[in-house]
Amino acid sequence: MARIKNRILSAAELQSFGDELDALRARVAADVGARDARYIRRIVAAVRWTGVTGRALLFLGAFVHSVLVPAWIVGTICLALSKILDNMELGHNVMHGQYDWMGDPKLHGQTYEWDIVATGDAWRKTHNFQHHTYTNVRGMDDDIGYGLLRIFPEQRWRPFYLMQPVIAVFFMLLFQWGVAIQDLRIGRWFAGKMKTAELRRNFRPVGRKMARQLIKDYIVFPLLAGPFFLPVLLGNLVANGMRNIWTFVIIFCGHFTADAEVFPKETIRDETRGHWYLRQLRGSSNIAGGKLLNVLSGNLSHQIEHHFYPDLPANRYAAMAVEVKQICARYGQHYNTGSLPKQFGQVIWRIVRHAFPSRVRTATLPSAALQRG
Amino acid sequence: MNAIPVPKTSWRQRAVRRAVSPALFDFWATRLNPLWTLEQPLARLVSRTAASRDAVTLVLRPNRHWQGMLPGQHVNIGVEIEGRRLVRSYSPTPLDDGTLAITVKAMPGGVVSGHLAKAARIGDVVTLGQAFGEMTLPSDTDDLLLLAAGSGITPMRALVRSLAARGMPVKVDLLYWARDRADLCFVDELNQLAATHPRLRVRTLLTRAGVEPERRVDDVSLESIEDLQARRVLACGPGGFVEAARGRLQGYVAHFDAEAFSTPATVEGEAGEVQVHLARSGRTLTLARGTSLLEGLEAQGLRPRHGCRMGICNTCACGRASGTVRHTLTGDRDSEPSTPVRLCVSAPSTDLVLDL
Repeated sequence: MARIKNRILSAAELQSFGDELDALRARVAADVGARDARYIRRIVAAVRWTGVTGRALLFLGAFVHSVLVPAWIVGTICLALSKILDNMELGHNVMHGQYDWMGDPKLHGQTYEWDIVATGDAWRKTHNFQHHTYTNVRGMDDDIGYGLLRIFPEQRWRPFYLMQPVIAVFFMLLFQWGVAIQDLRIGRWFAGKMKTAELRRNFRPVGRKMARQLIKDYIVFPLLAGPFFLPVLLGNLVANGMRNIWTFVIIFCGHFTADAEVFPKETIRDETRGHWYLRQLRGSSNIAGGKLLNVLSGNLSHQIEHHFYPDLPANRYAAMAVEVKQICARYGQHYNTGSLPKQFGQVIWRIVRHAFPSRVRTATLPSAALQRG
Repeated sequence: MNAIPVPKTSWRQRAVRRAVSPALFDFWATRLNPLWTLEQPLARLVSRTAASRDAVTLVLRPNRHWQGMLPGQHVNIGVEIEGRRLVRSYSPTPLDDGTLAITVKAMPGGVVSGHLAKAARIGDVVTLGQAFGEMTLPSDTDDLLLLAAGSGITPMRALVRSLAARGMPVKVDLLYWARDRADLCFVDELNQLAATHPRLRVRTLLTRAGVEPERRVDDVSLESIEDLQARRVLACGPGGFVEAARGRLQGYVAHFDAEAFSTPATVEGEAGEVQVHLARSGRTLTLARGTSLLEGLEAQGLRPRHGCRMGICNTCACGRASGTVRHTLTGDRDSEPSTPVRLCVSAPSTDLVLDL
């Protein structure tokens, strides 16, 4: 794998790197307004309309058997689209507080709830706080392999990881369940570090949300179709599965491509703002694509911009990326981007390669790469 | 003394609430009728008429979730301007047909008042909060002295109308200060009521008109008011006006109640301390204006929920009822009661009320 060279920045350079990125933030933050409000409301409308269209088509197919197959296919795609938009462009971004400035209680980051088994509260903790603050820091960012996969040679190898190419496929298909239980840290319970009572207590809100989602998608809506419940149930199942696969692909492309780096805990000691930006840059990767990819990925196609500015409206990232790229180039920093097949190909390679024992190449030690001058 | 009972939720409402979220219900219901929501009180603008030179009276029709108000109370009205919902308190006059009349004067630099006075159109929808405030009449036995300055006339008008509707059961003197004649609101209506009801006396005092401006509340003559000491006094106006009235009358009259409306204070610099009231825990703390709220609260032994401590993760965002905060990284000031405050990157600029 070709390795990129990042210039080592002096303290002064790191300072002005951070200042330039802060200035871009201030410029965009000052301009946020009616346009962004209109955008997110349009996304809300898209979620609702695709959702109701998808469900209507599934019922149509269930009752009018002559159009069963086309109605089922289109209906399932619409429903998957609705869930993808709800989870990524709407839920994920709103929960970051990106639209808090609107003062609309329905779009408040702290209280938003989404159409997925994971609870908004757990997500706000594991994602907004742990993952975004300690991005790709080993032992602090649970998103590194989700405690299940070995993505980086820095993670210690165990024979269990030999199975990870198979495990990864199941993890992808059931991704929403993985995210839902992430904050329960069941591994600690298995290791005897957590009492059963504590796990049970923590599971209660998660279980309620799971039950709600299961009842909605697999009992209530299928029952509405009466004797023809099966196509509706299968449509919901496949739509949830499609969403799972898509979110897995997008999220894994964000931090686990070939050039993405992980960092030891020492890196965050006395971290300056410039240094924090630099770590976010080195740990994130973008996906090059058009507007459609931006919307469907919740603008995580601009993972770098998202990690720089997680609380700015995501619909601004594409425009900001132009300047971010220039700033990175000026400071000799690699801006990790590539097409979806290229980035995901690298993710697959990492999952397969690091299933087997692997060693960190000394020339690319991340601590060396993140050195401050 | 809330005379308006909270309507009981029917089993049907409770069932709907279990099945669908307000966000989902409201999205589809407001497509049919912009006022149909599951819980959110809303109102539609149904008429607008000029009230004075630069004030308009807007009539709002609330939806069924609004629980009504007593004359003299305030209501928070939220208007969306440039994508932001901005909330301001008004003192509406409840009309007989269930609508609310608010009189809005375009203030210089006032985004909401300017919007309502000039840009708001018939059919526009605004959010309503439930009524609050103590400028109400506990009984119909005390004679009244009402003191109003500027927009402070609006709760007084509501009180006078309500008293008139009940045949003016007590003596009422209304003193109403304004800069000049063109600034006066409701004068014709008030004078007409005074002509019909001998127990109501209305006096307007103009502070910037004619050769001899009228005296202000601290030294105006109150000799013509009978039994001043036995009166219940209600005062409403800017902070300075209310304080002057309080200094002169509190303790001298039977009861003194007042409400001051304040404009968001813009205090420069980072020196000094402010009072931060935590509404949920009922505590009031003195915090330095120079440090972030999170650090300030922690220094007082509190452990508010927080995460990254650098303005990224939004974990510490908390509601704010009033007050201005300064963003510690950008220096921007924000006074919007409807937008949450991120404790880790916000320092208190003025006294604050936080939802903690």
